[in-house]
Amino acid sequence: MRCTKVIYFIGIIFFLLTGCWDRKETNDLWVVTGVGLDQTKGGEVEVTVEIHSPSGNEGDGAGGEGNQAGGNKTILQTGKGVSIPKAIEDLDTKLPREILWSHTEAIVINKELAETGIREELDFFIRHPEPRLRSYVFISEGNAKDIMALLPPLERSSSEVLIELAKSEILMKVTLFDLMEMLKGESGASILPMIDILPPEEGKQPLETIAYINRSAILEHGRMIGTITDRLTRGVLWFRNEIKESTVTVKPEEADGLISMKLIKGRTELIPKIDGNQLKMTVKVETIDDVIQNKTNWDLKNMEKHKMLEKELAQKIEMRLTDTLEMVQKEMEVDIIDFGETFRQKHPDKWKSIKRDWKERFPSVEVTFEIKASVLRTGQGSIP
Amino acid sequence: MSRVFNRRKLKFNQKNKEQQDDKLVPKPLYPNLDQNLEVLHFLYKDCSDMVFRSFVIADQTKAQLIYIKGMSNIEEMDSNVLTPLIQKADQQSINPKTLIEQRLSVAEVTRIESFDACIDQLSIGNPILLLEGNQQGFALGLAKWEKRGVEEPSGELVVRGPREGFTESAGVNTSLLRRKIRSPQLKMKTLKVGRYTQTTIMITYIEGLSDKTLIEEISQRIKRIDIDGILESGYIEELIQDNSYSPFPQVLVTERPDTAVSNLLEGRVVIIVDGTPFVLVAPTTFYSLFQSGEDYYHHFMISTATRWLRFLFLFISLLLPSFYIAIITYHQEMVPTTLLLTMVDSREAVPFPALVEALLMEITFEGLREAGLRLPKQVGAAVSIVGALVIGQAAVDAGLVSDPMVMVVALTGIASFTIPRYNIAIPFRMLRFPMMLLAGTFGLVGIMMGLLAILTHMSTLRSFGVPYLSPMAPMKGKDMKDTLIRAPLWKLNTRPHLTGEYNEYRQDSDQKTFRRQGR
Repeated sequence: MRCTKVIYFIGIIFFLLTGCWDRKETNDLWVVTGVGLDQTKGGEVEVTVEIHSPSGNEGDGAGGEGNQAGGNKTILQTGKGVSIPKAIEDLDTKLPREILWSHTEAIVINKELAETGIREELDFFIRHPEPRLRSYVFISEGNAKDIMALLPPLERSSSEVLIELAKSEILMKVTLFDLMEMLKGESGASILPMIDILPPEEGKQPLETIAYINRSAILEHGRMIGTITDRLTRGVLWFRNEIKESTVTVKPEEADGLISMKLIKGRTELIPKIDGNQLKMTVKVETIDDVIQNKTNWDLKNMEKHKMLEKELAQKIEMRLTDTLEMVQKEMEVDIIDFGETFRQKHPDKWKSIKRDWKERFPSVEVTFEIKASVLRTGQGSIP
Repeated sequence: MSRVFNRRKLKFNQKNKEQQDDKLVPKPLYPNLDQNLEVLHFLYKDCSDMVFRSFVIADQTKAQLIYIKGMSNIEEMDSNVLTPLIQKADQQSINPKTLIEQRLSVAEVTRIESFDACIDQLSIGNPILLLEGNQQGFALGLAKWEKRGVEEPSGELVVRGPREGFTESAGVNTSLLRRKIRSPQLKMKTLKVGRYTQTTIMITYIEGLSDKTLIEEISQRIKRIDIDGILESGYIEELIQDNSYSPFPQVLVTERPDTAVSNLLEGRVVIIVDGTPFVLVAPTTFYSLFQSGEDYYHHFMISTATRWLRFLFLFISLLLPSFYIAIITYHQEMVPTTLLLTMVDSREAVPFPALVEALLMEITFEGLREAGLRLPKQVGAAVSIVGALVIGQAAVDAGLVSDPMVMVVALTGIASFTIPRYNIAIPFRMLRFPMMLLAGTFGLVGIMMGLLAILTHMSTLRSFGVPYLSPMAPMKGKDMKDTLIRAPLWKLNTRPHLTGEYNEYRQDSDQKTFRRQGR
């Protein structure tokens, strides 16, 4: 009996003496939905947080526009400091509530800051327990603060626009985790989506617009060294076996118009080969497409025409891949297309010696393409 | 202090023993009628509902008819007892045996030899006939009192299934069982409990299906009850259950004869208590409390789905408010962003912590529910309207609670009513409050701690020797086909194993109809 009493007593003590020390009521929190990182002229870091502003129930009583769906309910606040933690400390002094980082899903880094290196700055977000590794990382052309300040007409906030754009996977989608992997990867090269402000429509307020992804930034060892266009970005996606959405338009020589095809499935395989001192890479692409528009007089049901179309498609893809390779391998000399990783996986023993002068050897890798394109559905409706 | 208390208890027990011993020796009737009447008059002093009717049988023997007003059938007494007896006899001598055989047109006649038997018979409404010069009396089975007819049980409604329910009269209840189980193997043992009420309690079982030791144990436990009165089967339930400090019911309570019969057929024991339509079924496991009689009348797939729904809502009724509290105060990162932002918006103006907000609403809801139960029917509708509309909406408008909380409370309320048996729904409804406190102080860890405590407690429970969580813990593969799922009837070949010996097969295997071969 005494033993049970003691157990009950200890149980009650657990309740009363510990209590709720890490309780955080939502009315004492600022929910941060996006972060912008800029570099000031003095070399300091400027952190801009986009905070969701809880509207409360004030509107309801007046009877009318209580919940303005799609309305812009964000507050911006900035803090400066020599490092991100310092800048956040500065930020905290300006905020009456505690910051909740766990819903920060967009991290926008200014181009100037990215050129000086992002590895050290992102270290904060990776170490901090609250921010998610699944948040998306972007590089902005202008100031990150300006992008956070946008008031998108439909979405709740500017960062939500960016998240949705990244999720659509038309161009690069890089999460903090992916970036981490790329930064510590064999080649040390990374690629990030680059955003810019879409010029507002006429008659709208200058801020009533969105940011959009139009290019990709190439980073080497965490330092930004250049950009590639959206067309080449898709080429990079092909190499990285990440292609999800793509529309290809071909103009066969014998035909009198264009045929557009939509990607259903695309798969890329990199097959490395070490031939003496020469590194070789075979890029094997398999793709299945659907015809979505036929402006020619071709009857695609005809097997011959069908074969020709498939050949055209393969050529088109190969052209794009060659262009990408030209840019990435020959001009920028940055291995963002996973060649190094593939060599390491296939020949781990030889890789150790290759790795030392990979930077020099990467441009000399001999690349051959093996593209197998098939058109699955040609459609019934447009028989000329 | 406890020693003093114990000694007092001892004394009390001794006193009780003496009283009982007094009662145990039955006092025989005297051969003299006047002497008998004197004793009875003394026993029933100041009982104005007693009727003593003296008459002379065929001008020869003095006799007395004794009954309680309103409990016996007076018309039958007139026509079948008094009229034939008062008539002049053709024969010269009258002996009691021929009298009963020739004159009394009453079906049930019991001979009584003691005053105790006399009192027993009178109290159940049977008139007593005493004769001069005879040491035996006759109890005539003419009991008839006002009772409610067989109606649909209001507490356990079904869509499909028999609509009859038990009544307050034990006689009617046993007849309802007997009409369903025609076999003479259906046995009923009668006990009398309650010093003053002398309530009839019937232990009903099917011989050959129920374990003998189980019946023995149940009658032992009922026999040792010595209290003033048994007014409802709840008294018995509380006095015979294994663990009195547990909030979980260890005995199944039902108003439906079909439920009682199906339990009898599984080898359980049904305890009928006179004066209440609720009969007890023992032993009971946790999972059998989630079965409704209707499960077996509908298609097995539908019944299985319904069972899963019940278990889902069981968890909702226990955990939803505490889960909401834990997440909104400790684990905001677990909520999808858009949902969190909406919740943050609605909670912005609320002045209380989420825990207080939830307690406020839950207590209000429980209050409303209780009020709805107790209020007269005419007022009930008004209360539910006031409760649902005014309190819910006004609380949100006044900024005291947030919209999601109203939804959480409403869903919890509905969830606790999906559980088919009221007595298993109540403990979960009650445990919700400690769970909310745990969630408010420790977050999800607290919920986990609470759940573990409940689970540990439940696994220590036993109902008449049967582990409460069986057939889950301990695992009994054969019995699993009627717990989480309701297997088709042609698969339910074995009875659930309770304790001791059991009659394993309840049907011939191969009950499924044959599929037609070819064409």
